[in-house]
Amino acid sequence: MEEQLFALPVADGYLRTSPEFACKRVVAAGLPRIYDLGPCFRDRERGSWHGREFTMLEWYRAGAGLADLMDDVEALVATAANALGVDAPAAWRRVTVRDLFLETTGVDLATASASDLSSRDRGFDDAFFRRFVEDVEPRITAPTFVRDWPASQAALAQVRDDGPWPVACRFEGFLGGVELCNAFLEVVDSQEQLRRALSVNAARVAAGESPHPVDMAFVEAVGRMPTTAGIAMGLDRLVAALCGWDGIERGRVG
Amino acid sequence: MYQSAEIRNGLKIELEGYPYVITYFQFVKPGKGTAFTRVKLRNLLNGNTLERTWRSGETLEPADIEEFTMQYLYNDGEQWFFMNQENFEQVGIQKESIADVTPWLLEEAMCEVMFYKGRAVSVVPPTFVELQITYTEPGARGNTATGTNKQAVLTTGASVGVPLFIESGEFIRIDTRTGEYVERVGKK
Repeated sequence: MEEQLFALPVADGYLRTSPEFACKRVVAAGLPRIYDLGPCFRDRERGSWHGREFTMLEWYRAGAGLADLMDDVEALVATAANALGVDAPAAWRRVTVRDLFLETTGVDLATASASDLSSRDRGFDDAFFRRFVEDVEPRITAPTFVRDWPASQAALAQVRDDGPWPVACRFEGFLGGVELCNAFLEVVDSQEQLRRALSVNAARVAAGESPHPVDMAFVEAVGRMPTTAGIAMGLDRLVAALCGWDGIERGRVG
Repeated sequence: MYQSAEIRNGLKIELEGYPYVITYFQFVKPGKGTAFTRVKLRNLLNGNTLERTWRSGETLEPADIEEFTMQYLYNDGEQWFFMNQENFEQVGIQKESIADVTPWLLEEAMCEVMFYKGRAVSVVPPTFVELQITYTEPGARGNTATGTNKQAVLTTGASVGVPLFIESGEFIRIDTRTGEYVERVGKK
């Protein structure tokens, strides 16, 4: 699990923050195209676009790439708009995070240091995200897929280093100015999976947080996965963004 | 120090040498990053607004702001004197600090007074005040048209626009937020 995710504790365990681990074990067991739709829970996330409980749709496609998932999202959003009786969004743009930063801030992420991005943060990722929150995200108004994020933000995505800078094979989709979905070209190497889990835990311990339990059955299953692209989409946000609401609260049932 | 998790509307903080009040905040959490709070602030001294972000874990410095309900007593032309209703201390406030509200200050009126680092920086009078007209041009009898105005001078020296049927000596209600005539009130 990621460094900045906090699971909600229950009697003798935690509520799931996403169905990712279970889904990947199913893919590793041999089912090439699967989805999961249901509630997920995250502690310490409260706001107009965040809830402790929300509904997540995840799907995984063995043998597919990130461009296939972008096509999926475009088709799904158009279908959802039709079902809701609202206008389908404008055409989607596909852009790298490096080009987006160059466009909105003039900073080249391939060569920038933390201090080039923000004077208030020492770490690259914190400086990156502050600048993203302040200057980049507010300008993503059209439907947009933002791909090739910094390698340090790969989570469970593969890292590619054949261009101007190492990037994570990941994209985030933005609709109505809100992050709608997050997709990975998945890590399918057990050793790499274990290394990522341990490095996340080291960072958490250094920050005074408890380490996530390491699920060794999951780590082993990852090594049996074929090349797979996977994506998670917040359905509360999908409905709210398509309907032009100012947050997900209005779409809650009960 | 306030923690970023304590950010809420109305919180008053010190930033770059000025006191600000938080007027809007939004929790944001980029996909794989730490949480931030996007904040809009209003400068309590000059009314300017700005936007800032605080990263989860960053702190905010409280502003040295105190607010009291105070009763207006009198003025000597330079200072306006108020009595703190909690400790009955009297405080003089320089004319220039409250020039925008002196036309609406009646003796004994309860006001909300804000102090920054011990110095009074704003006075909010009651929202509605009733003031007597000392002079206005006599209105044309029978003229009840609305939308046409004339100027009337009040006992405090302020001048406001009033409907044509209002006459000298009458009392009118003023909205102190806008400085505008609201209605005629019965003679006192």
